[in-house]
Amino acid sequence: MDQVLLLLLDAANYVLVIVLVAMGLVIVFGLMRVINMAHGELFLLGAYTLVMLQQAGLSYWIGLVAATLLVGAVGLLMEELVIRHIYHRFLDTILATWGLSIMIKQGVILLFGPGAQSTAAPFAAQLDLFGTPYPAYRLFIMGVALLVVAGTFYLFFRTRFGLAARAVIASRDTAACLGLPTRAFDRATFAYGAALAGLAGAVMAPIMSVDPQMGLGFLIPAFLAILVGGAGHLGGPVLGAGLIGATDSVTASLWSPVLAQVVVFTMAVVAIRLFPGGILGGRRR
Amino acid sequence: MTAWSDRLHDRRLAVDLVVWGGLALLPLFAGAWQVGQIAQYLTYGIFAMSLALIWGQCGLLSFGHAVFFGLGAYAMSLTTLGMLPGLAGWTSSYLGVALALLLPAAFANLLGRFLFYGRGLQGAQLAIVMLAVAVIAERIMTRWSYAGGMNGLMSVPPVDLGAFGLRYELYDPLPLFYGTLAAAVLIYALLEALVRSRRGVVLRALGADEPRTAFLGHDTRALKLAVFTLSAAVAGFAGALFASQFGFVSPPLIGFGLSTEVLIWVALGGRRALLTAFLGAIVVRLAENALGDLLGAYWLLGLGLIFVVCMIFLPRGLLGEVYWRLTGRAGAG
Repeated sequence: MDQVLLLLLDAANYVLVIVLVAMGLVIVFGLMRVINMAHGELFLLGAYTLVMLQQAGLSYWIGLVAATLLVGAVGLLMEELVIRHIYHRFLDTILATWGLSIMIKQGVILLFGPGAQSTAAPFAAQLDLFGTPYPAYRLFIMGVALLVVAGTFYLFFRTRFGLAARAVIASRDTAACLGLPTRAFDRATFAYGAALAGLAGAVMAPIMSVDPQMGLGFLIPAFLAILVGGAGHLGGPVLGAGLIGATDSVTASLWSPVLAQVVVFTMAVVAIRLFPGGILGGRRR
Repeated sequence: MTAWSDRLHDRRLAVDLVVWGGLALLPLFAGAWQVGQIAQYLTYGIFAMSLALIWGQCGLLSFGHAVFFGLGAYAMSLTTLGMLPGLAGWTSSYLGVALALLLPAAFANLLGRFLFYGRGLQGAQLAIVMLAVAVIAERIMTRWSYAGGMNGLMSVPPVDLGAFGLRYELYDPLPLFYGTLAAAVLIYALLEALVRSRRGVVLRALGADEPRTAFLGHDTRALKLAVFTLSAAVAGFAGALFASQFGFVSPPLIGFGLSTEVLIWVALGGRRALLTAFLGAIVVRLAENALGDLLGAYWLLGLGLIFVVCMIFLPRGLLGEVYWRLTGRAGAG
């Protein structure tokens, strides 16, 4: 029983972080039709910011906030310098952001070396859950992720900003005709999506080894989650991440991590065939 | 049908002759070691052409094209080392090349059958799924101890062109160079014939606007599937040549790193033409050889920067700009 509970908690943890990463991707894709391949490196930047600030003696909480804000600013910069020029050329945006990801990764290697860094969680306590000890920090991660995901849904479905943003997503031209500043929305959403990745990276940094290659390990599951769940709705990545993350965690703990990747991947490919627009995208052909 | 005189006036022909003729004369000016080095880059060039075929012509982007290259390299190595399960005595290079063509093609065909139905992410499924395939393939090969695991397979024999009991190994730099060059010319001629044919026009139409091409009555999915399969076979062939030249295969060949590199070669060279993609691979590798030691980690940073700038301002690539000016074509149609 203990084992099952632990497995479930770890799976939930993984799923929620993937949701955070995937959500940033989907918001940017929905609004600007840009697939941000540098999203994994934004995650990486978030983690490194936290590690560096903690090594400089600042508190974890300052690091967490600073990582979110800083990565958001990096997103803004990326949008202004690169994306803005090519967002009407779909394939080129994928490639340009891919080039940015190479640059960010290489920049991090130049600054901090290729080795792994590590940092401590702000609290090491173990909580007693139904008789099973569980690290409190992992529960904290889940709490943060749930809060941010709920906040994002609230922002997009319950506020005037969200209504306007969804109008831009539905039809950019119509929204522009109605006087909505679409450029401002582009900037804001790109920065918001980037900040989500930065937050995810910072919050995960204490429980994993922080190295320049870590971004890809989150980017790929996030993409697969979007392909499975559908990119047309904010709920898509949530559902997709749930399916992908749960399958991955269960297979990895029962058999092996490599097999888990193969199973998840096969599942995603089959899902694309059965639900071309994602599970939430309907079965239209 | 175009008349023969028109074909002779096509300036692409002159560019082809200059480039391939120049390459054929190269051993007159370069030392044996350099010739051997460039022979290896020729296999990268063939690999780059396979990517330019799907990406430049049909707009199918792949972030994991090295999977097919690596699959071909492993197929060739396992065959010529006599490690095929159940076929221990079969070590013919011809069988190796056949498998290096067939296995990647079959895998690509299977993947394509699933992926080309996807509508999410505006048809970028292939790019992203191939990225996942590359990462997974590299991990599988690292774990698979029969195929050498992390250390890879060593002392892969060179290509043996012999038949009927005679042996002729492509081992010395000069025969190796001309053998590889002949293979590259052959692949180029075959693929370029497709690109310049009427079907090539349809492929570019498909890349420009898939729904419209479908409205005109073309089965776009079948076309994409066929081209993707062909591209994988060519990549596998390049991998097979590479493995038997280099004498060594290891997991990075099938993975994420090489997939990224080939994208950069093709993008910087010019994806719109096979020739510029081919030359892009060779030029970038030569530049890396000359500058890599000097710049160290800054090399990749600089390459990434050039890549981004190129994507924004010169989507036809650095060599592509020259090529399309020389041939007097737009490079889009």
